[in-house]
Amino acid sequence: MPEDSVPLAAPAIAAVAEAAAPRREGRGRLLWTVLKYALLTLGALAMLLPFLDMVLGALRTPAERLARPPVYWPRDPQWGNFVRIYDQLPLLRWTANSLGVTLAITTLQCLTSAMAGYALAKFRFPGSLSIFRFAVGAQMFPFFIFLIPWFFILRYFPLAGGNDWTGTGGTGFLGSYAALVLPFAVSWYGIFLMRQFFLGVPDELLDAARIDGAGEFFIFFRIALPLVGSGLATLAIFVFLYHWNEVLWTLTVTRTAPDLQTLPVGIYLLRGPFEQEGTKSLQQAAVVVSILPVIIVFLLLQRYYVASVTSGSVKG
Amino acid sequence: MRRSPVLSSWVNSQKVVPWLFLSPVIVFALVFFVLPVGFAAYVSLTTWDSLTPPRWVGLKNYQYLFATDPLFLKTLRQTLTFAAGTLAIGVPLALLIAMAFSRVPYKGAWRVAYTLPMVTNIVAVGFIFWFVFRQTDGLLNRVLGLFGLPGPGWLTDPSLAMLSSILVYVWMELGRNMLLFAAGLGSIEEGYAEAARLDGASEWQVFRHVTLPLLRPTLLFVVITGFISGMSYFTLMLVLFPGTQGGPSRAALTTGQYMYQMAFEDLRMGRASAVAYVLFALVLAASLVQLRLLRRGGVEA
Amino acid sequence: MTRRLTGLLGACSALGLMASDAGAQEARTIQVATHYTEEQAAPLLACFDAYEAEHPGVTVEHQQTAYGDFLQTILTSRVGGTAPDIYNVYSVWVPQLAAAGVLEPPPADVAEFIAEGYSPATVGAATIGGQLWGIPTELSIYALVYNRKLLEEAGYSEPPKTWAELREIAQKITRTNDQGNIDVGGYAYGTSVAEGVHPFYAQMFAAGVPPFAEDGRSTNLTSPEAIQILSDQAALFADGITSNAIVVDNFASNAVAMQISANWNKQGWQEAFGDQFADTVGIAPIPTDGPGGTMLYSFLWAVDATSDAKEESWDLLRFLNTPREGGLSCTGEMMQGMGSLAGNSADLELMTANADEFDRAYVEEVTSGRAVTQPNIWQAAEADRILRGYIDQAWAGTMTAEEALTQADAEIQAVLDEQP
Repeated sequence: MPEDSVPLAAPAIAAVAEAAAPRREGRGRLLWTVLKYALLTLGALAMLLPFLDMVLGALRTPAERLARPPVYWPRDPQWGNFVRIYDQLPLLRWTANSLGVTLAITTLQCLTSAMAGYALAKFRFPGSLSIFRFAVGAQMFPFFIFLIPWFFILRYFPLAGGNDWTGTGGTGFLGSYAALVLPFAVSWYGIFLMRQFFLGVPDELLDAARIDGAGEFFIFFRIALPLVGSGLATLAIFVFLYHWNEVLWTLTVTRTAPDLQTLPVGIYLLRGPFEQEGTKSLQQAAVVVSILPVIIVFLLLQRYYVASVTSGSVKG
Repeated sequence: MRRSPVLSSWVNSQKVVPWLFLSPVIVFALVFFVLPVGFAAYVSLTTWDSLTPPRWVGLKNYQYLFATDPLFLKTLRQTLTFAAGTLAIGVPLALLIAMAFSRVPYKGAWRVAYTLPMVTNIVAVGFIFWFVFRQTDGLLNRVLGLFGLPGPGWLTDPSLAMLSSILVYVWMELGRNMLLFAAGLGSIEEGYAEAARLDGASEWQVFRHVTLPLLRPTLLFVVITGFISGMSYFTLMLVLFPGTQGGPSRAALTTGQYMYQMAFEDLRMGRASAVAYVLFALVLAASLVQLRLLRRGGVEA
Repeated sequence: MTRRLTGLLGACSALGLMASDAGAQEARTIQVATHYTEEQAAPLLACFDAYEAEHPGVTVEHQQTAYGDFLQTILTSRVGGTAPDIYNVYSVWVPQLAAAGVLEPPPADVAEFIAEGYSPATVGAATIGGQLWGIPTELSIYALVYNRKLLEEAGYSEPPKTWAELREIAQKITRTNDQGNIDVGGYAYGTSVAEGVHPFYAQMFAAGVPPFAEDGRSTNLTSPEAIQILSDQAALFADGITSNAIVVDNFASNAVAMQISANWNKQGWQEAFGDQFADTVGIAPIPTDGPGGTMLYSFLWAVDATSDAKEESWDLLRFLNTPREGGLSCTGEMMQGMGSLAGNSADLELMTANADEFDRAYVEEVTSGRAVTQPNIWQAAEADRILRGYIDQAWAGTMTAEEALTQADAEIQAVLDEQP
């Protein structure tokens, strides 16, 4: 795909171009190089040190925390804390919830974005431009305007969760996983992105299939979709990471449904049990453990993630 | 799969197919977009505690917010400060780092360091910095102490609370903005910038007259999306300042949090919806202005 | 393809139906929501197991929420229709909850049970507008908590009796590190709403002026006593004797000499100080120039009005609050573990008999009549939040105490005027 190869190839081209450029003054060049690396290093330290601080905090003993003056480097690292919290907190349940909900959202969003993006990219029909403009404009609507209405729409949804057809009598979708997934079934950004990718699929391929008598759905699933596979993958990873970390809506809906709580929400509600200074090492251990899976996944898939972040912005 | 030939040809006709593909999205848009926006508008004209029927009050809620409520305008100011602050600090910083980043080898390692904060969830980030910002023994003040500098109360001093929130948000978003700028810079470097240098232009001239103008679409994209999320964000403040309403002297209270607590703690759904609408109007207006600028920059939206 | 989608949507709604249908099955589940940690609630959880054993088919679940989130969780769950069956709520929230129709009034036999087993004062705390709303649980009282060792090191063997004495002692003890940050604080407050507002109320009671009028329709926040209290507090900040950096949580680290705190902190302090507890932690009446007094508040067990297991819930509550075999009730045992005082008369008697110095000092506040119940005013949580915001400003020096309290009074009055 031209769009996502540009960011990756460009630095290489730039390096070559720079090597071919006329030599600048030796002294000035050294200064720039030093500044460059100093800036990058300082920045990288600022990015990474807070994580290290958290890990160190997880390793302190209660005595070290309560000591005056406070101890920084743990002399008796409590590696056991990382294991101990699994007993104290339902981390596995939270993780399972996060996994289930995020996978469901990712699947739904990929499906709806692909279908809508395909329709908008490959068909000419009245209203397609308006719908596209709507999708672009909808991204400008900030999240908080939906917060209160979604709550009540899900609560009074007819024929759900014990509600009758007027939407009263039960609890609607609240208190079930549906409440966590449904409001995120469609992503306007996803539609925008998939349309972009589908535009790169040659029409001739699709027309040839039509001439051969294939049905439209067959064409979509068997021909068009595989061609944007990598694009879909980048969207999927982007959506997955974004919704794994979603807190506000999940918090609102699962406050009194602890069985449904996801990992970030569980961590957020951790304040209560860990108010005492001495127990805060466990709290820090819990936070570290909660972000580890995401970090590992991210490290493995970062090329795709980077591509997904950058592909939406630079116009090819 | 047996379908009647008539149904099959109708379903497969060019006219109907796209609508079929779009149907889930359209249903979603009606239920989870149009309906909520309308619902919020209606509720904002009522007084409603959601446990008893709503009571029509017309524009009274809006009147109250602008004329009587001592806190609302303060939160608007603080929210704008937050959004503007994160852009003012975050964008130049990201640009600087992107420029350095695009000219070094072994990008992979640097990239990992910078994008790690981006994928960490906001709650974890909040906790991390709650500890880092502790006045007596937090990491930041310890480091400052090494240089003989005083260690202020980042989260307890009303004059610093908003700045601390801004810094944490910049920290989180730096990776994403840097990547976007690096991508933009990459495509500029390979063409125009090198040409300009070959023609004898100085670094500064290249930057001002070639790089910056060509970077405009990326810049505006970063600014628009950054502004929208900056205006809406408050989950971070909930974690940094637990048990309070927006930190010391409510110095870090944003309109979003004000609305959330008004709705789910005081059960004032009507007024909260009015708050949401006012903030939404502000954000939309600002975004449209920025979009106009983007259009004029000659880039398709 | 559309079939796949329909299947997906169908699965989603089926999931929803299944999830919320669980409550309608034969076996009953009673959900009990409290803000106590698993550790604090251990005796209670043991009682839940005992109850389940005696009543097969009934499951009792504990939902724990941090105190700071608790009211919001209750209200959100009520609005969302997923409310628990039993709440352990702060009495001050009851007017708001009762007016919103959240609570179920106790049936006649439970009301009798309460009248027989609880002192008039505690029953009063659970009564709003003549209607009893639940079974009173813990009594929380505020007093001056001080670190004996720190005071002795500074040369003081007695805790302060007036604010001037407190200020003197605090000034002597406060120590700053190289960076100018307070390392050991002579006096400490806290960042949460309660940690700022409750000591303030307690000091007002001590000065003989309750924060709110008897009828709950106006405040006394602009009285000279209140203004004096706040400006004294602000002076501590202005003179560097205390700051926002040193908080009540630091008491357990021997880093705070004095603070106004409630008795339920006992468990945490016992853990932190270990066998040094009795020698380190001292309790004294709140220092004042007035007649003396302090604030008392209580929690109560209440049942949700939309619960589908009301009878079972009240039955469970009776079980939890009936003294066992010549000992404490379940609730009483939990209170004792936390260092709180029970509302149940029989429990209280037993506790007083076994009380250590810490407990006795707090009980003394109650029995001497100094402790006055915090009034259950309209939208109390909102009023507290407003007040805290202005107290912050006074402490930070951006407003004088008089300005801050005048504005707080105006805003709170506007809220109070909304009540029917």
